[in-house]
Amino acid sequence: MGDESENDPAIGTGNQDELIMQQQRQIEREISETTALVGDLEPIVSLNNEYSNDNVYLEKIKDLSSKYKHIRRTRPDGNCFFRAFTYAMIEKMLDNANELEQFFKLIETSKADLLTLGFPEFTVDDFYETFMDVLKRVRDIKGVNDAKKELHSLFNEQGYSDYMVVYLRLLTSGHLQRDQEFYSCFIEGGRTVSDFCHQEVEPMYKESDHIHIMAACAALNTGVRVVYMDRGSSKSNIEHDLPEGTTPSVHLLYRPGHYDILYL
Amino acid sequence: MSLKTQYNLKSPGVKRLMREACELAEPTEEYFATPLEDNLFEWHFTVRGPPTTEFEGGLYHGRILLPSEYPMQPPNIILLTPNGRFEVNKKICLSISGHHPESWQPSWSIRTALLALIAFMPTSAAGTIGSLEYTKEERQILAKKSMNWECTVCGKIVDKLSHSATSNPLTKEESSLLSHIALKAEEDPSSKVNGTEPVDSVRHRIVNTDIPEIQEEIVRNIPQSNKDRMWELIIWMLLLTITLLIVRRFFFL
Repeated sequence: MGDESENDPAIGTGNQDELIMQQQRQIEREISETTALVGDLEPIVSLNNEYSNDNVYLEKIKDLSSKYKHIRRTRPDGNCFFRAFTYAMIEKMLDNANELEQFFKLIETSKADLLTLGFPEFTVDDFYETFMDVLKRVRDIKGVNDAKKELHSLFNEQGYSDYMVVYLRLLTSGHLQRDQEFYSCFIEGGRTVSDFCHQEVEPMYKESDHIHIMAACAALNTGVRVVYMDRGSSKSNIEHDLPEGTTPSVHLLYRPGHYDILYL
Repeated sequence: MSLKTQYNLKSPGVKRLMREACELAEPTEEYFATPLEDNLFEWHFTVRGPPTTEFEGGLYHGRILLPSEYPMQPPNIILLTPNGRFEVNKKICLSISGHHPESWQPSWSIRTALLALIAFMPTSAAGTIGSLEYTKEERQILAKKSMNWECTVCGKIVDKLSHSATSNPLTKEESSLLSHIALKAEEDPSSKVNGTEPVDSVRHRIVNTDIPEIQEEIVRNIPQSNKDRMWELIIWMLLLTITLLIVRRFFFL
């Protein structure tokens, strides 16, 4: 099909962006073939395999394992914060029917808020319904373990899993826009909050920063502890509770560019 | 609908496309789109050229190819009716202009893509790949001709749009979006080969066979662009001058 002659100029002018994007897609494909969207529970020491010759990291993994027992890896596709956060929250609430019920109500009312902000009803509806559908499905299973199994399998089905991510991205964007005044001071590059949302929050595969996490937590009325593990000189890992002062319901491990779920 | 038996209705992507098919089932004055009978992931559409532009009166037909990850990945649009703004049979994809080429959002829809296409037609081609810089007159002629254009799958396109039903009013988000949306041709032929879009090879089968001929025929009928005409004139004048000189040499020595 491809008209070579027609497309040659693009190559001739050395379209680097295009090449980079192509390479990036190749990497993404490889990642998706090797890493589950949400993995199984693994012991913390399984991290050692990734850093067998790296003393800085090995030291920090030791520190991590003194506080946490398990890690659940997520696919590094730019959605990892949203996916890990949603998964870990729902998983935790399966142990507590009350919390789950409250969360259920919070999500139920969230759609109307998004519509008032001007999100298109037709598509918001679609994501909302799938999110609710997943919540109902796990809620209606009697045994906690079976419910968790169902959650795990739903989150590993690309369709459902991505829909959950989209809805949380929309909620996060909605919260940022509702609280514009507060968040505008955190946004760099002279962008408005709504520009930022359109460029960095709502599109899939865009990585999350502090500001995403703060807004997502506020939108779902919960807190998260992020444990930062990098090559920094401190012996122990740095912990951040977001928003400050809340009791975290979810613990996440952050290594540059990626979030995984931690279990006490 | 026979499609229902063929797809996993539980898959959110399929459900979404079914819903979009329902939402777009009634033709409006500006656009109409419907999935192929045997493929929910390929649609055909017709849009009306925006009024008060050189596309006024034109009807433009094309295909929408939906990636299997839709709506996480954007739809691709392919125009089939010669229009003088976009090359035919070439994928154009939807993005926000400038430095964020991949910012398609899952909360947009096929309707958004069609609205963007209509809004984008009168903008300057500015030498981007997949764009054509025909003159206003050429585009007007193509607009007129488009009324008689036929799709090998859908037939005559002249009856596809409604003459009275206006489309849903734009939402706040849609109108702000349309002000800075951009359509960009897919620039990268090799990505098709190495399988980024494996679905397409299958989906090309239906339409492409005899369209280039139709297009050629139409292109032949268009008066050449002004530049060509100017050159032609100059050549004729030169020839005339030379002949006159030669003739003078012979007779008036």
